[in-house]
Amino acid sequence: MQRRLPLSFIVLGAIGAAFVALPVIGLALRAPWGRIGEILTGPGARTALRLSLEVSLLATLCSVVFGVPLAWILARGTFRGRAVLRALVILPLVLPPVVAGVGLLQALGRRGIVGSWLERIAGVQLTFTTAGAVVAATFVSIPLVVLSAEAGFRSLDPRFERAAAVLGAKPGYTLRRVILPMVAPQLVAGAVLAWARALGEFGATITFAGNLEGRTQTVPLAVFQTLQTDQEGAIALSLVLVVLSICVLVALRDRITGTG
Amino acid sequence: MKPFVVVPVVLAILVLGACSSSSTSAGTTSADGSTELTVFAASSLTSAFDQIGADFEAANPGTTVTFNYGSSTDLATQIDSEGTADVFASASGTAMDAASKTPGVADRTDFATNQLVIITPTDDPAGISSLADLATPGTQLVLGAEGVPVGDYARQLLDQNGLTKQVMPNVVSNEPDDASVVAKVKSGEADAGVVYTSDIASNSDVRGVTIPAKQNVLATYPIAVVTGSSNTDVATSFVEYVTGSHGEATLQQFGFGPPPSG
Repeated sequence: MQRRLPLSFIVLGAIGAAFVALPVIGLALRAPWGRIGEILTGPGARTALRLSLEVSLLATLCSVVFGVPLAWILARGTFRGRAVLRALVILPLVLPPVVAGVGLLQALGRRGIVGSWLERIAGVQLTFTTAGAVVAATFVSIPLVVLSAEAGFRSLDPRFERAAAVLGAKPGYTLRRVILPMVAPQLVAGAVLAWARALGEFGATITFAGNLEGRTQTVPLAVFQTLQTDQEGAIALSLVLVVLSICVLVALRDRITGTG
Repeated sequence: MKPFVVVPVVLAILVLGACSSSSTSAGTTSADGSTELTVFAASSLTSAFDQIGADFEAANPGTTVTFNYGSSTDLATQIDSEGTADVFASASGTAMDAASKTPGVADRTDFATNQLVIITPTDDPAGISSLADLATPGTQLVLGAEGVPVGDYARQLLDQNGLTKQVMPNVVSNEPDDASVVAKVKSGEADAGVVYTSDIASNSDVRGVTIPAKQNVLATYPIAVVTGSSNTDVATSFVEYVTGSHGEATLQQFGFGPPPSG
């Protein structure tokens, strides 16, 4: 039996829903449907789409490679300062992206504390390069992998590990054949979220890596720049990101609704 | 904690990843006899107009001047759609033309000029001393993006000096506005940038390389009273103040040139 909600709640809730839905509806209504194919297959849009895919996938890969071991340390390690380390790792999620970009410049820019050294010793420059865009996207998306993987590791019954050890499995083998397969759903969820975040990254990228077609101009940056001269073109590109975001929600629907 | 509880929480946080800003201020009120004037002005005018606004308020007690700074192109669109502007000061004639079609403007006057200048970090890592030096291979140059006035003027500059083909390959980033170009150079990430002369008047920590007048581009700034302003009198006197001797002196102090004669 469903209890009746107060009318004020229904009204406020409806306003909330409309507030979220209207911008998406606006994009759909104002989209230049007649020439959307032409816009999205144009050289500028194709370059941005390809670069966005490259950058976001590489950033996801980096987030998984470095984030999963970090999650393991956070889940199983017993050391002082673990809570501080976790807070630090999650920080990029709540940090304004432009601040992330400024921070990255201080660390990895040409005159940054590590960046100046990188350039002098190895001749590597990250700013204004595709690698820099990957760095910016990784910075903002790695917490999503860590959070999700850590939750997965924590939910594991330690008896599985003990059983494997008793049966003679070495730690590395146990990790590869027992633990990682069991937390695979959380790892995938974390990776998908990280990918979505990397795909939408704007502030840290434009601040740290700059904006150049074919090198650092991902789709969000292309949307921003196209908006200066061609609103319809910007809407068409925006719709691509809307569609991809919806795909992510659909892929993760069981985990989001919590109902299975 | 259920393992998947974390996902919706994280999704909520994801939203923080997107950010945007827009600022507009409501128009005019005169409840207690005070007058509020809303001025839409090109972002390159920020320092100069903040000063002029304070001086105007001091000279006209009871009047408050509120500024909305932005890219002139964007401002022209906002003026049409929002109707809260009393005065529009634009960095380009094109944006003013757009505003004069709808909603219309009155008393249009060119009040200042600006030119372009090359900026480098103070230690000048790439050794830039002329416009032609921007073509040196390996120079990392930042410009304003296409469609942003300072970016369009820079492209016009390269074009009229026949340097487009040599210089454009050195562009490492197209920045969203004038201030971002300055920031990229100031931090030493870029070797050079092209911005307005007025920018170096307020930034001592970049090095300016003057572009000779015959090579340079002249940006002319028009100002006008927006049709539909509920404060036409005050708006007109603000325009007169900016175009008058006091306004001109302040603008010069902030690196702007006098209006074109004739």
